[in-house]
Amino acid sequence: MSTKHSKAAERFMNNTEHERWHNETLWQVRAKRDKLAMEIPEWEQLRDLASRIKTHTITNLDRYLTQFAERAEANGAIIHWAKDANDHNEIVYDILRKRDVKKLVKSKSMLTEECKMNEYLMDKGIDVIESDLGERVLQLIHKQPSHIVMPAIHLQKEEIGKIFENELYTEKGNNNPVYLVHAARENLRKEFLSADAAMTGANFGVATSGDIVICTNEGNADMGTSFPKLHIVSMGIEKLIPDYKSLSIFIRLLARSATGQPITTYTSHYRKPRKGNEMHIVLVDNGRSDILKNEDHVQTLKCIRCGACMNTCPVYRRIGGYSYTYFIPGPIGINLGMLESPRKYADNLSACSLCYSCNNICPVKIDLADQIYKWRQSLDSLDEADRAKKLVSYAMKFLFRHPTLYNVVLKIAPIVNKMPRSLIYNSFNDWGKGRELPVFAEESFTRMWKKGKVKKHE
Amino acid sequence: MKVGLFIPCYVNAIYPEVGIATYKLLDYLGADVNYPVRQTCCGQPMANAGFEQMVVDLAKHFDDLFSGYDYIVSPSSSCVSFVKKKYSLIMQNEGYPCQTSGKTHDVCEFLHDVLKVDKLPGKFPHKVSIHNSCHGVRELHLSSASELNIPRHSKIKNLLSTIEGIEILEPDKIDECCGFGGMFSIEEQAVSVRMGYDKLKNHLATGAEYITGADSSCLMHMQGIAERERLPVKFLHVVQILTAGL
Amino acid sequence: MSNKDEILNNIRKNTKTVYGMPKIVIDAIQYPDIRTKFMESMELVGGKAIELKQDEDINQCIRELYPTVTSIVSNIPGITIANINPDRIVFPNELDGTDLAVVKGEIGVAENGSVWISRVIKEKALYFVSENLIILLDKKDLVHNMHEAYQRVEMTNHDFGVFISGPSKTADIEQTLVIGAHGARDVTVILQI
Repeated sequence: MSTKHSKAAERFMNNTEHERWHNETLWQVRAKRDKLAMEIPEWEQLRDLASRIKTHTITNLDRYLTQFAERAEANGAIIHWAKDANDHNEIVYDILRKRDVKKLVKSKSMLTEECKMNEYLMDKGIDVIESDLGERVLQLIHKQPSHIVMPAIHLQKEEIGKIFENELYTEKGNNNPVYLVHAARENLRKEFLSADAAMTGANFGVATSGDIVICTNEGNADMGTSFPKLHIVSMGIEKLIPDYKSLSIFIRLLARSATGQPITTYTSHYRKPRKGNEMHIVLVDNGRSDILKNEDHVQTLKCIRCGACMNTCPVYRRIGGYSYTYFIPGPIGINLGMLESPRKYADNLSACSLCYSCNNICPVKIDLADQIYKWRQSLDSLDEADRAKKLVSYAMKFLFRHPTLYNVVLKIAPIVNKMPRSLIYNSFNDWGKGRELPVFAEESFTRMWKKGKVKKHE
Repeated sequence: MKVGLFIPCYVNAIYPEVGIATYKLLDYLGADVNYPVRQTCCGQPMANAGFEQMVVDLAKHFDDLFSGYDYIVSPSSSCVSFVKKKYSLIMQNEGYPCQTSGKTHDVCEFLHDVLKVDKLPGKFPHKVSIHNSCHGVRELHLSSASELNIPRHSKIKNLLSTIEGIEILEPDKIDECCGFGGMFSIEEQAVSVRMGYDKLKNHLATGAEYITGADSSCLMHMQGIAERERLPVKFLHVVQILTAGL
Repeated sequence: MSNKDEILNNIRKNTKTVYGMPKIVIDAIQYPDIRTKFMESMELVGGKAIELKQDEDINQCIRELYPTVTSIVSNIPGITIANINPDRIVFPNELDGTDLAVVKGEIGVAENGSVWISRVIKEKALYFVSENLIILLDKKDLVHNMHEAYQRVEMTNHDFGVFISGPSKTADIEQTLVIGAHGARDVTVILQI
């Protein structure tokens, strides 16, 4: 019984020191989040409202999208509608090509990862520079993010130091994070000042005003958009919220959940492009409108991409983002992957002990664990159920439907206690790889009851 | 009150002493306890593995066996959580009303909320670390989940406090999953064992001699690792400590 | 059919149950001493807030805070220490190399040490490109939390606005907090009467 995921997980954990460090590092982010959440007495009230506001918005999405687009266009922004990833890439390329853009500087956007935009544009000869530090490091080594908020969390400073030595010509052997960050500051500043266009994602789109809201700590999104005259925003259609009153709730929840800060350093509101500048907003569907009809999984559309579920997940923390086959890992990633392609990403479903911590941590109260449970139920009808698991389940069902047989098995079970170790502990016994088998009682409870051995208190 | 005792399959086979302690304690507290002998398993392992539809017959059987009781009590927060949260829907989907899910309780929940136990005889002069099992915490609210901004409480702590001499401790990462997760323990055995090992280390760091909890499945998983790693710690279900004086 | 129509039609077709907007009533946190809380929050986020004393000269105060800076950019009347007017530049690139920018904040939020600034200078680049940033804020413009802040923001009309909370930072390398990623390395809020 193993999946692609369980094999990848085992490989990650073979490096015990690294796994321990990765686990503790991510736990600290959870701990920071806890500290801040507990300082806000109205925290659970905020979560509840955020959940209900998102539910309301996604079930009235046509109205809000129309309103948003109208407001944004009245403000002077240009709205584009992308049905899927390909549409998105073509629209973006078209905008860039028409303005003869050679260099595009961008801030972090999981949506552009989803659309595989960077490869698309670079194939067409446009230089795309990631400006978020973690994303920039990964870009230099051609790797994907392993976490949606802290993309390079799996890399230790020695590795990053080496990458900077090779690519940014920093001091040999210097892996002091302060030194490295300041080296990146210098390097990326040149890019900001010489870029022809800037691209950002959007944390929120406010329907009543047509604002795009972007939250960063580094200031890279705002640096990027401050110099070129062209700004393109990629936004998933589910990112809308109704108004400023709602926005205040989300801004209070987002950074506390994501990084354990009361707010990100910069919470920027882009409303109108200045005279002589252009702001394009690409609204992306790419399967989101289809999710609406899936009542079991529609709640995933509430996600504000904070990453808290990854930080709390005891499995994710120990195995890292690369152990998942979908580009977004952790509890939300398992669910989004299944929504994109159940057959392709079914392996990730095993990466969950159903502890329900993610349900409790999610600032918008997505029922992440319940959804994972539901996806597991659907595997059989998709023909993706693990055969060994199915066989074991059938055997258990048969046994449990026949109490007499069940009790006979309980009677025989203690034989296992006396069997030679070589017979029990081998490659067929997954339990036994890391644990001793429990000892079967000589007499089961049922047997003792029947024999009158279960006594009351005297 | 008529109480039907529901003994989970693995408690039946591996930890019958937990069943014995449960029976003794409930009887001592004045309940009329009976054990329907034809019970087997609640079906949770199959459902969590993705085969919920295999559980229908088991659910119907459970419902029939226990329909005559005022309460159904079990020394397993995960099994009880499954019956309470999933049985109604599983049976409804097949057109059967479920009579038992509303009156099924974990034994700690029952002792604390229904019998309101605030005094028990006996001593247990040992250091004990509470293992807050996921189903117990997040589904049955036996203690306040660490993620939530709600008043801190622990029913298990309250119950154990009635025993003289006991020193109650709780580990760091107070309700992090131990990694059992049913079939998860086998399908993702490497992560499962690592999680269990980390949990054990946190428990041991409290200085405890015993690890206790409301779920023998978690205890069984950690015990297996403790024995393999030769870690010096003993395991008891909460009811076994509560019956120390009986 | 345009992409827009296809997407909107698909949304309408697939929406099953419609949920209403909840009534938003929050017992939001209020601080007994809003000024102290704001100053504490600013420190927690890596910045600092000081109070301008009754007869203190703002330019003297700024000079004492940043004694070695040479290029000081501001369009606030009365900030005579400034030697560059940001409204006179042609390209935003010219602002690169600014040692200190002095800007006006409109709302200060106690719960997180952030200050709302809407673009009132020619190029918003100044808010991000400057090595150090001073934000002038009137004490009467302090609010307790983001709900109060956004109530005020809603009444303004901005083409660009930003809540700035302390200096730019990152923890992308091993979760070690490093101040001075791409934006200001140092941020001071001067609270005025």
